[in-house]
Amino acid sequence: MSVLEVSDLAKRFGSLEALRGVSFAVEEGEVFGIAGPNGAGKSVLFACIAGFYRPSSGSIRLDGEEIVGLGPHQICHRGLVRTFQTPALFHSLSIRENVLIGARFGGAKEDRVEDILRFLDLERVAERRAVNLDLFTTKRVVLAAALATGCRVLLLDEPMAGFSFGEVERYLDLVAEIRRTCGVTILIIEHLLDVLIGVSDRMMILHHGQVLFSGPPDEVRRHQGVVDVYLGGGTGG
Amino acid sequence: MRGAGRRLMPLLRPRNLVLASVGALLVAWPYLGADRFVLHVAALTFVWAVVASYWNLTNGFAGITSLGNMGFFAIGAYTSAVLAKELDLTPWATMPVGALATMALVTVLVGLPVLRLRGIYIALLTLAFADALPSVITIFRAWTGGGIGLLGIPELLEDLEKWQAYYFALAFFAVAQAALVLVVRGAPGLAFVALRDSEPFAQALGVDRFKEGLRVFAISAFFTGFAGALYAHLLGQISPAMLGIEQFLMVISMWMLGGAGTLLGPVLGAAIITFGNEYLRVAGSLRLGLLGLAIVITVLFFPGGIMQLVGRARGFLTRPRRGGSDPDTVDGAALPVGSGSETGEGR
Amino acid sequence: MDAFLNSLASGLIVGSLYAIMAMGLTILYGVSHVFNFAHGHVAVVAAYLVWFAAVRLGLALPVGVAAALLVMVVLALATYWGAIRGLLRRSEWGFGTLLFTLGLAILAEYALLELFGPRVKSVPAVLPGSVRLWFGRLALNDLFLITASVVLMVLVGAFLKRTLTGQAMRAVAQSLPGAQVVGIDIDRIYGATFIFAFVMTGLSGVLLGTKTYMTPHIGWEWMIKGFVIVAFGGLGSVPGAIVAAFLLGVVEALVTLYLGAIWIWPAWLVTFIVALWLRPQGILGGRST
Repeated sequence: MSVLEVSDLAKRFGSLEALRGVSFAVEEGEVFGIAGPNGAGKSVLFACIAGFYRPSSGSIRLDGEEIVGLGPHQICHRGLVRTFQTPALFHSLSIRENVLIGARFGGAKEDRVEDILRFLDLERVAERRAVNLDLFTTKRVVLAAALATGCRVLLLDEPMAGFSFGEVERYLDLVAEIRRTCGVTILIIEHLLDVLIGVSDRMMILHHGQVLFSGPPDEVRRHQGVVDVYLGGGTGG
Repeated sequence: MRGAGRRLMPLLRPRNLVLASVGALLVAWPYLGADRFVLHVAALTFVWAVVASYWNLTNGFAGITSLGNMGFFAIGAYTSAVLAKELDLTPWATMPVGALATMALVTVLVGLPVLRLRGIYIALLTLAFADALPSVITIFRAWTGGGIGLLGIPELLEDLEKWQAYYFALAFFAVAQAALVLVVRGAPGLAFVALRDSEPFAQALGVDRFKEGLRVFAISAFFTGFAGALYAHLLGQISPAMLGIEQFLMVISMWMLGGAGTLLGPVLGAAIITFGNEYLRVAGSLRLGLLGLAIVITVLFFPGGIMQLVGRARGFLTRPRRGGSDPDTVDGAALPVGSGSETGEGR
Repeated sequence: MDAFLNSLASGLIVGSLYAIMAMGLTILYGVSHVFNFAHGHVAVVAAYLVWFAAVRLGLALPVGVAAALLVMVVLALATYWGAIRGLLRRSEWGFGTLLFTLGLAILAEYALLELFGPRVKSVPAVLPGSVRLWFGRLALNDLFLITASVVLMVLVGAFLKRTLTGQAMRAVAQSLPGAQVVGIDIDRIYGATFIFAFVMTGLSGVLLGTKTYMTPHIGWEWMIKGFVIVAFGGLGSVPGAIVAAFLLGVVEALVTLYLGAIWIWPAWLVTFIVALWLRPQGILGGRST
C-alpha cells in the first residue's frame, strides 16, 4: 500500500482550473520530486494535500484513509506536514520554541526537540529569537519544526529557492540524512530539474495543472513533452 | 549547585523583586492604616483586575475580539446570587457553581458559534449576547429582581468587614493571576503567539485554532464568572446596570489603557480606573467624557498603553548599558494594541 | 387582524428606516473594512441637530436638515483624515479602528448629554396628520418616511452604478490592490465613502427621530440594530442589508405585538445567531473575504 495516494484530483478557482485529474502514488520512504513551470499547480497540489485548500473533486489517501475535508492540523496529526515556499517563522519566539510548537501541537514527544536541534545543527542558536535569520538557518528551523511533529510524510515546497550552490549541496545532504535516519517519506517541489533528478527516486512533472510526466528521474530528459515545456534548454537552469 | 543557582537567579531579577514587594505591601495594607473606604475600593479593584485581565486574555493575547465579557460577569453574578438567595445555600458553594455555569453557558452559546467566525463578526455577536442579557434578566424578574436588581444577597461571611472582603478579593486575584500566567506561558499562550506570527505555518504544525480558542474562551468565562459571583457576595446587591455601557467601557479601558497583550497592564489599568471612578463620583457625567477621551487618545497616540510607556522609560534607562537589542524593552515598547506578545513583560 | 396589519405596516416603515441606516454602515465596511462603532451616534447627533434647529431655533425643517448634513460631511472628513487614515496603516488596524470609533461614540454621547440633557426628544413630524385606510389610520408622516426611504434607496443604487465615485467605491470594495493598479486614489475614495456613510446615517437618524423617541444613549441601540441587519444581510452587501432590514423590522413589530417589547432583543439575537449559523456570508452573500 502506498503511503500517499492521490487520485483524479481537481481544483478550480472560479473558471480557472489549477489542477485537472492529477493522480499519483508515493511509496513509503521514497523521495518524490515534483517539477513544472510557474503556475503548473505545484503549490496548489501541496495545499490540497495538506488541507489548506479543499479540492473540487478527487481523493487523497494517507495510509489508505481519505483525508479530503480534514483541516491542516488534523492532517498534521495524521503524520503529514507541509512547508511553505516563503517561510514565515514565529518571529516573537526563540528558535527552540519554534521547534517546540511542532512537538507540542503536532502530537509528538517534547524530548525529541533537543535531538532534532542537534541533528540540524541549531543547538548553538536555539535561544535566539527567530527574526532576521539567514535563509539557510530559516529553512533548517522549518525542517526542525516539521520533524518535531513526528511526521512520516514531509512536503517541501521549493525549499532551496534562493540558496547558493554550497547551501543546495548541504541541504540535499540533510534531506538524504533525514530520509535515512528518520524514515520519512519526502515530497519535494523544485524548479531546478538537475537538483531534483539527483535527489528523487521518482519524479512527476506538472503542466497546466495536469501530469505531464511521471516515472524514474533518468527518463525525464528523454520525455518529449518535458523537453518541449522546458524549451529545449532541458536543464532548467 | 550551579544548576540550583541558575534556577534561583531569575527569581532575583529586579522585576520579580518589585512584584514580591508590591505583593507584600498589598498583604500588609490593612495594617498600614488604610481606611474602610480605601479597602472597599481596593477589593473592587481586585475583582475588576481579574475581569480586565481575562478580557485581555481573549482580546490581547489570543486575538479574539470578544466584547461580551461583561455578559460573562453578569451570568456568574446572577447565577450565584440567585442560587444563594433562593435555595439558601452558602456563597462558598454557589460561587464555583456560578463560575462553572458561566463557563458552560458561554462556551456552548457563544464560543461554539463565535469561534467559527472571524474578526468583526465575533465582536458583534459577543456584544449582542451581552446586550440581550438585561432582557433575559427582566423576563426572569421573579428571581432576578428585574430592572431594580437583586438586594440582600448573602454575603461571604455574616457581617462581612471591609478588611475581610479585601483579603478574599486579594486571594481570588492572586489565584486568578497565577492561573493566567500558566495559560499565557503554557500551551494556549504559545499556540496564539504562533497563530498570530504565522497562521499557516502554525496550522501545518498541528495547531488547532478552534480548539485553542474554545479553551481560552472557557477559561476566560470561568474566571470572569467567578469574579462576578464574588462581586455579588461582596456587595450584597447587583443590578442590570453592570451590563450598561458605562461599566462595559470602564472595564474595556482598563486593559486597553493599561496595555493590551501584557500581564501587568490590565491590573494597573484596573487600579487607575477603579480608584479614579470612585474619587470622581462628584464629577458625574464628566467621567463618561473623560473615559471616551482617554480611549481615543490611547488608540491614536500610545496604542501599547501604560506598559508601552513603562517599556519606553525602561528602554531609555537601560539602552546605554545593555544595547538596543534587548527584547525586554525595545520590542515591547513598539508593540501595537492587541499584538499580544508578552515581551512587554520581559520574557 | 387589524392589529396584525397595523403591526405589519409599522414593521415595514421601521424596516425601511433601518435599511437606510444599515446602508451607510455596510458600504463603509464594504469599501474600507472599517466597522464604525459610532455609527448609531452619528445618526443620533444628526437627529439632535435637526431637533435643535427646528424646535429650539424655530428654523424650517429643510434648513435644519441641510445644516445637519453639512456637519456630517465635516465630521466624516475629520474622522477619516484626522484618525482613521493613520490607524489603517498599522498592523492592528482592525482593533485600532474598532476602539477608536468606540471612543468616538462615548464622546458623542457625552457631548449630547452636556448640550441637550438626558430628556427624551423627538424630531417634529415632516407631515402632520393621518389618512384613513381600510385597515386603520396611517400617519402621513409614515407615508412620507417610507416614500423617502425608497427614493433614497433608488438614489443610492444610481449613485453606486452611474457615478464615477460610486463605481470607484465598488471597485475598491471588490479588490483594493486591483483598484490601486488602475490608478484609483484610495484616500479620495475612502474620504468619499466616509462622507457618503455619515450623510446616509445622519439622514436615517433624522427620519428615525420623527418615528421614535431619542436620548443621548439611544445610539448604542441603533448601532447594534444596524450591525445585526448588516451582518444578517452580509457585511458589505447593500441589497442584503435592505432585505434584512425589512425582515427584522417586521419581526420586531410582530414580536412586540404577540410577546411584548421586552422580547425584542432576545428575538434579534436569536435571529442573528440562526442567520450566522445558516449563512455566514449573509442572506444574499457578501464578498467571501
